[in-house]
Formats: sequence, C-alpha cells, structure tokens
Amino acid sequence: MKGSRTRRFVLSVLALALLLPASGVFAGGAQEPPTPELPQQVRLVSERGTHTEAWKTRMEGFEAETEIDLEITQFPYANYFDTLMMNFTGGQVDFDVPYISLLWYPAMAKAGYIQSLNDLLDMDPGLKEDMPGLASAALDGEVYIIPYMNELGGMVYRTDLFNDPAEKAAFKTKYGYELAPPKTLEQYRDAAEFFHRPPDLYGVTLMGKRSIFLATHFMNRLWARGGSLLDEDMKPAFANEIGAAALEGMADMFQFANPAALNYDFQDANTEFKQGKSAMAELWTTAMFHASDPASSQVVGKVSFVGFPKPEADLNEKRPRLFISWGFAVTANAQNKQAALDWIHYVIEPDNLAAAAPLGTIPPRLSAMNDPALLEKLPWLAAFQEALGTCIPTPIVPLIPEGMTIVNQFIAPTVSEFLTGNTTAEAALSDAAEKTYNLLEENGYY
Amino acid sequence: MAKISSARLEAYRYLLPGLLFLLVVFLLPLAYAVGITFFRWSLLRPDLGIRFQGLKNYLTVLSDPFTYETLGRTLIFVAGAVLLEMVLGTAISLLLNRGFRGNALVQSVLLVPFMMAPIVVGFTWRFLLNNNFGPLPVLFMRLGLTGLMDPPLLANQHLVLLVLIIVDIWQFTPFVVLVLLAGLKALPAEPYEAAVVDGAGAWQRFRLITLPLLRPAVLVAVVIRTLTALRIFDTVMIMTGGGPGSSSEVLSFYGYRLAFQSYEMGLAGTVGVLTMGLALLFTLFYIKRVGVDT
Repeated sequence: MKGSRTRRFVLSVLALALLLPASGVFAGGAQEPPTPELPQQVRLVSERGTHTEAWKTRMEGFEAETEIDLEITQFPYANYFDTLMMNFTGGQVDFDVPYISLLWYPAMAKAGYIQSLNDLLDMDPGLKEDMPGLASAALDGEVYIIPYMNELGGMVYRTDLFNDPAEKAAFKTKYGYELAPPKTLEQYRDAAEFFHRPPDLYGVTLMGKRSIFLATHFMNRLWARGGSLLDEDMKPAFANEIGAAALEGMADMFQFANPAALNYDFQDANTEFKQGKSAMAELWTTAMFHASDPASSQVVGKVSFVGFPKPEADLNEKRPRLFISWGFAVTANAQNKQAALDWIHYVIEPDNLAAAAPLGTIPPRLSAMNDPALLEKLPWLAAFQEALGTCIPTPIVPLIPEGMTIVNQFIAPTVSEFLTGNTTAEAALSDAAEKTYNLLEENGYY
Repeated sequence: MAKISSARLEAYRYLLPGLLFLLVVFLLPLAYAVGITFFRWSLLRPDLGIRFQGLKNYLTVLSDPFTYETLGRTLIFVAGAVLLEMVLGTAISLLLNRGFRGNALVQSVLLVPFMMAPIVVGFTWRFLLNNNFGPLPVLFMRLGLTGLMDPPLLANQHLVLLVLIIVDIWQFTPFVVLVLLAGLKALPAEPYEAAVVDGAGAWQRFRLITLPLLRPAVLVAVVIRTLTALRIFDTVMIMTGGGPGSSSEVLSFYGYRLAFQSYEMGLAGTVGVLTMGLALLFTLFYIKRVGVDT
C-alpha cells in the first residue's frame, strides 16, 4: 500500500517536472541558427492597419513570381511595439521582416536586433533619389528600414466650404484677403475662427488627449517657427521663446475646436472630421483615406490636404514638417536575408506601390506618386507632393533610441499640463528640457 | 511517534508539487520583479547593459515630487471608491436580503457591470460621456448642468478623478453586494429575535447586531477592493491616458509609462514594488484593526 502510494507520488512529481519545461516555463534564450535545408520562406510581422492591408495584396504576386513563401502575423497597433520589443529582448525572434514605424528603428538598430539593408541599394540603384524618406532611414551610413508608406503633418480641410462663393465673399469682407487652404499660421487661425460656428461646425479639430498626438500639435508649431527639439550637440533646444510661442499658439487654437477635443485622440479627431463637424482637422495625410471612405465618411469628395503652415514672415523658408513613415526592416538573424530583400525590393517597385496605394497607403517613391492612374484615383496626392517638396521631412521624435521617451514621457505630458493652465509655457518647457537633458546625459550623450 | 513522522512526511510529499507550482508562478517572478529594481535596465539601450546601482532607483522615485503627487491621487481614488462602494454595497445588500418579488432578476442585472472586462467598461463610459453623441451630456444639458460639458468631464482636471471613482463604483459595487449578501445570509436569526423582544429598533439592530456580525465579510470586501483599486489601470488608460495634465495619473499608470513609454524596467519595477508595499500595509492595517476585534 505504502509502496504504491510512493510510486504514485514519484510519478506525479515526474509528470510535473516534464510538463513545466514542455510548457515553455523555462524557455527563452538563444535562437536556433538557420539550417540550410529550410524552405524559401519569409516570415512577416505587422500591425493591423490600412497600409498593411495595402501591401498584403502584393504577397500573392510575389509568391507566384519567386516561389518564396510568405507568412504573415499581425498584431493590434496598440501593443505592436511592445510585442516586438518583448520578442527581441526575450530572444524569441521568430520572424524575418517586421513592418515597423520609422520612429522605432534607431532603438532596434542600436541594440542589434535589425540589420543593415545597404545591399538593397545595390539592387535598386535609383532608390535614393526616388525615395526622399530614405534620408531618415539610415544611421552612420547604414540603412535599416526601407519606407513603404509616408505622410506629412498638415490639415485636411473641407473643399466644399473653402470653395463656396458665399463663404469666400464673407471671408474676404471680414479678413481682407481671399479664402484659400492656409499657407501661413495667421491664415490658419483666421480660417479656424471664421468657420467656428458651434455646435454645428467647429473651426478646427485638434487632439487634446495627453498622448503623442497632442505632442504633434506642439511639434508642428515649433518646427514651423524654425525651432527644434535637440540642437547639434543633442542638447534640448525647445525651452526658449520659439518653444513658448509654439505652445501658446497651439493652446490658442483650441478655442476654435470642440470643447470635447481636449480629450480627443486620433480616432476621435478623425471621426469628428469625417462626420462633417469641422472645417479643418490638424492631422496627417492618411486621414484623407478615412475621409474619402464612403462607408464611414459624410464628406466624401469634399476634402483635400495642405501641409502645415509657417509664419507669414518665414513663408519662403524651407522648414521641417512632421514626417511619418512605416517600412520594412530585416531581423539580425533572419533565416534567409536574400529572400527578405527580394520581398522588400518587389513590394517597393513603383508599379506595385501605385497599385496598392488606393487601398490606404501613400507611396514613398516619387515615381510611384507620379503615376497618372494613381493621381486620378487620389487627386489630393498632388497637394501632398507639393507639401513634401516644400519642407524638410522630419520624424516627430529624434532618431535616437531615447526619441520616443523624450516625446511620450516628457513633451506630451508637459504640453498637456500647459493646456490645463496649471503651468506657464516657460516652466512647462524647462521641466521637459531638464528631464531630456538628464536622460541623455545618463545615457552618455554628453 | 514513527507513525506521526511518516504521516507528516507523506503530507509534505503531497504538498510539494503545489509548493513547487507556487514557487515558480508566484515567488520566483516576485523575486525577479524586486531584483530588477536594483538595476538600471533600459530596453531601448541594451547596449548599455543591465547595471547594478543599488538603491538608486528607489532614491530617484522617492525623491521625485511627482511620485508623491501620484501617490496622493491614488490614495484619494482608493479611499473614495472603496468607501462609497462599501456604503452603497451595504445598502443594496440589505435591500436584497429582505427578499422581494423579482429579487433574483435584480441580483442578476446588478452583476452585469462586474462581469464586464475593465477595458470594455472604459470604452463604455467614454462613449457615455462623449460630448458629441453620448447620452450623459444630453442629460446634463436638460438638467441645466452645462458646466459639466465645457470642458468635458474627462478633460476637466478638477473632476476627472471623481469620474473615475464613479466608474469604479459602477463596476465594483456589485462585488461588494455579493460578498456582503453572502455574509448577511449566514447571520443567525436568534440575536435579531432577541433584540426585537428587547424593543430594539431597526437602526439599533443594524448598528449593534448586523454590523459587528458582518465584520468578517466587510473585511474581505474592503481588503479585496482596496487591493484591486490600488491596481486600477484599464479605465485610466482608455478614458484619460492619465490626463488632463497629470490629474488622473495613478501609481499603476505611472509604472506603465515608465515600463512601456520610457522602457526603464528598473524604475518601473520600483514603482511596482512601492505599490505592492502600500497594498501590504493596507492589508495588515485592516486585518489588525478589523480582523483582531472579530
């Protein structure tokens, strides 16, 4: 009896000891090296978004042409970056080509999680001239991400309102110049004031919720006035008169927005504009796709885009504009680097970019953007090109690993704090600048 | 003697798998979480390595005024939410304990908020409070409470914490009702019968019989609610993002920002350890104060 009880006990402990490793409890650590016998396969990972859906349409053609298998895993955007980083830091990298934001690659490159893609430049010699965004995709001469889509910060606006003869006449009477998509900060403010007719119509839609979206409103104005986040020595350069003017100018615009905008994120702002409740929305170019979607928009065919304006005195200066880009990287231990490069090379071919664009992406190549068929489908693309040609495309965060922290942790909360009226512009910016300086100093930048 | 020893040994042998499980699932992660607080570990800069820095993370967190502001907000939230939930929960459970027609249906309906995932609760209330199409602003307007719409409640730094407390009360009062109702059902009838005979009124019976006898259930409800209220995260994330400014930033959200916006795992772990310490203090206080008397 005792013997059989002991036997049962030993068996149950053994079972537990076998189960735990099998369940992956002690898993983690180094990845298996690729074996030469692996099939031609590229494992893609991405978020669930419109541009992913756009390039997914190219997968079948690539597989047919090359006989390389493509396998894709998608994650919700909200925790996509966290998922990637956890995989990288935990050594559980079971993908070859992550589709990532331009903002993320410095941290991944610095940590050695992704590898240089300079080989692709040899495969496509004209790429550098044809793809302006590539200038932001390199660190120390090594390209780490190939942009697939890009967009600029600016305003989407109601063409039906701006082109209406009665509105134009009334605007000219009040302000003394022609109503047109704003090119200057002064015109932007005037137009927002003119069209602010609550509760049926608001002058502008803004994103007031404490987040990186709110930070874009500050950054737009900082750059427009010739300011920057960091100087050449990587020291904070925004706690000054230009920064204060940017902060105050941003807060001033909220009087022409829906009071609810103080709690808006991108989705809320998009929704308000699509419902026809505002004359303009300070967003970025892909909002045009949402506004042009007949399934959800009340303003289809009545919208266009204009790049973020500058002060009137600086109209002829080429200033930074918010530049957002997503693209493909290759992991450091991709099982088949050449196959990965072949996929990227295929999907960024001008014809493929132009074919996928109407599904929700803006091509990063000038040759694709100039495709006549595409311009006919997306007539606002011409306005986007004009905005791109008259600015220095600048990512919202400095392209260093600490960039996201500076904007998310220091700038966004500080801007939100200023908006509540709890602090002055000078005090808010000094606080954020001090934190930025301390972080970069601790990480060895000075 | 030998028989007792072998029986005890046998018992330990059977306990061992469970203890191993606790060790792996609970104690080891806890030790790991406490351990990383002594290191500087930036996920964004793995090239800097994981550097031991003793108590520096604790000094950084404890010397930052923002920590105390956040702690203050957290304590206000916990105290407000738990107190009101206990009062409301007690009233509702007393009502349900009386028994009336449709009692079972009312109990089922009451439980619905408690069954919802916190993230769904966050989105639901965000919708309810939406100035553009939410029903509550319409109600405020009809009642002449237009001051609650400009700025909107979720963008009002003076009222946003109160809104979060109300949402928490809406979601977790049913839990308090469940626990207290179970406690009420288990109370003996004899003390009440004796009290009625002695001429005690309803309030006297409640104060002198019900409350003292209900103490164990109250302790359970208060401890569990305090611990879960300390951990509030989902509704803050969805409804306010910690804003406007920092007016709804609580400890758990602060830890989240350190972990997933700054990627400073050592600092984030430190905030987590401090939150755990707070939870431990609360629990010990309640048990000593309420449990010993019981």
